[in-house]
Amino acid sequence: MAISLKRLVSKPEHSSLLTEMLQLVPQSVMIIDQEGKVLLEKKLALEIEDLTKLPAFPPKFPIQAESEILGWVVGEAGGSIATLLNYLVIRELERKSLITDTLEKYKEINLLYRVSSELGSYLNIEAIANFVLSEASRLIKSTSGCLLLIEPQNLSNGSPSGKLKKIAAFGQELTTDQPWEIDRGITGDIIAQGNAEIINNALADPRFIPREYPLRALICTALNVKGKVIGLIVLSHDSPIAYTAADLKLLIAISSQAAAAIDNTLLHEHKLQEERIKTNLGRYVASQVVDAIFAAEGDISLAPVKKNVTILFSDIRNFTTQCELLAPEQIVEYLNGYFTAMVEEIFSYGGTVNKFVGDMIVAIFGAPSHLENHEQKAIETAIAMQQRLQHISVDWIRENFHTGIGISSGEVVVGNVGSPQHMDYTAIGDEVNIASRLQSLAKGGQILVSRSIYELNQDKFDFKSVGSLNVKGKHNAVEVFEVIY
Amino acid sequence: MSKKILIVDDEPHIRLLLTQTLEELEDEGVEIFTASNGAEGLEVIQTEKPDLVFLDVMMPQMNGFDVCKAVKTNLEISNIFIIMLTAKGQEFDRNKGIEVGADLYMTKPFDPDEILEKAQNILGFAL
Repeated sequence: MAISLKRLVSKPEHSSLLTEMLQLVPQSVMIIDQEGKVLLEKKLALEIEDLTKLPAFPPKFPIQAESEILGWVVGEAGGSIATLLNYLVIRELERKSLITDTLEKYKEINLLYRVSSELGSYLNIEAIANFVLSEASRLIKSTSGCLLLIEPQNLSNGSPSGKLKKIAAFGQELTTDQPWEIDRGITGDIIAQGNAEIINNALADPRFIPREYPLRALICTALNVKGKVIGLIVLSHDSPIAYTAADLKLLIAISSQAAAAIDNTLLHEHKLQEERIKTNLGRYVASQVVDAIFAAEGDISLAPVKKNVTILFSDIRNFTTQCELLAPEQIVEYLNGYFTAMVEEIFSYGGTVNKFVGDMIVAIFGAPSHLENHEQKAIETAIAMQQRLQHISVDWIRENFHTGIGISSGEVVVGNVGSPQHMDYTAIGDEVNIASRLQSLAKGGQILVSRSIYELNQDKFDFKSVGSLNVKGKHNAVEVFEVIY
Repeated sequence: MSKKILIVDDEPHIRLLLTQTLEELEDEGVEIFTASNGAEGLEVIQTEKPDLVFLDVMMPQMNGFDVCKAVKTNLEISNIFIIMLTAKGQEFDRNKGIEVGADLYMTKPFDPDEILEKAQNILGFAL
């Protein structure tokens, strides 16, 4: 710690005290710095006139800060002034060390303040990680640093396992592409313990795994959220320096805020993802079904299961002929208008749109979420669809689109089918084929149903038997009924 | 002529920390003065005519705004650069600051490195 004698002597309270003391001394005396520059002196007019009275080599009394000479008091009576100055130096040293300490603490407070107030404004994990590293390295001496997170899918079972992912890094020692093993090395140990450590001689640590670039000292803390370790922060130095408990405390304080911010961001991202899925799902199923899927109550699952459901097929009669004279854009516009109206009806009765194939609509009632009286709901939907089409506001659609609807019910397999990249929520089974056949038989405006539908609803709607139909793979012919509405 | 900095704050530890932060400027011949309230601060401003003043806003006996206004409306001393210091959390009234002619404002807890850098810039020392 450097002390300037000049500054010490020129402090107002010191200079007045020293000047007063010099007045009390009967002889000439002066205070000089290391270079011999006079800082304060008292000359007696009399002595200057009578140079012979001056000693050739006046005594010099040193002023020291620890072992360093700051200057001297020169003169016969300099001893007591030197004693006073040496005392002032000690006081100044104490004061300075205290202030330096306080300033360090103040910098820490300021750092934590800034970290906590700014962390909330970052919305992605990389930004948080970079911010935290740059802030931490302002006060904790380091030539390299990184923030690692445990890959999310490995967090679920409670005990961390698998890979660590580097989110942000600076400097050479820790930025290598060498993978971080979650269960190896010093970092592995810290993740397992969920604690923080200072390792001032990394090379001597038995857990140390040598990396591409030399690293001598490191300071490391786990990122804990709600009692769970989600990752860690490491700062390191390429020369052997001594990290202190104060450094570690500071890093822990920063990391606990960082961990909370990262956790929040992950939650937020998860929420966004959920919203995206909901929006996409909303195109296939009614909003109440989407909510039911996310609430995950009961037996709603998209995994394939055998279920009793009702299948509805609807198709526009002679669609291609109707559209022959139209521009493709016009066809799409009419189709969209038609689908929008039909889907609204299907959703309003709790149905799920399974798929559109050309101008055909396939809907399921009773999956993925349970639907009471799904056979009846399907008939109500079919009637609503036919009536809606007859009253649709676009003249061309009303005049040219006439749909045939087929409905069947029974045990089918429903669920996600496909490859991991592309899946369809769909139904597979005989009843699906039967509904499809019924639809192909139905004329414009007609609703045809199978026996199972008729039997359950004969007291609720009017039916007319229209004969029977041979379906591939079925021994008995399928009896067909028309819904009169 | 040597440059002068004045620190006006009623909290002793802030005065101490700012003095310590700016200490290395003393090697460039900068003199540092302190005052513990607004009235005392204005007095030192008038007698010493510092180049730069760090002025706390909330103070007994004349708050920072009043001191600033008194300085900026006096042609003899209105060129003095004034940095207002305001505690974080209590929202600094920007309009009021502009109205009284403050040159800059910074929030407490202040960043010591930033304070030193600002002072060096304002006094025209190379970084």
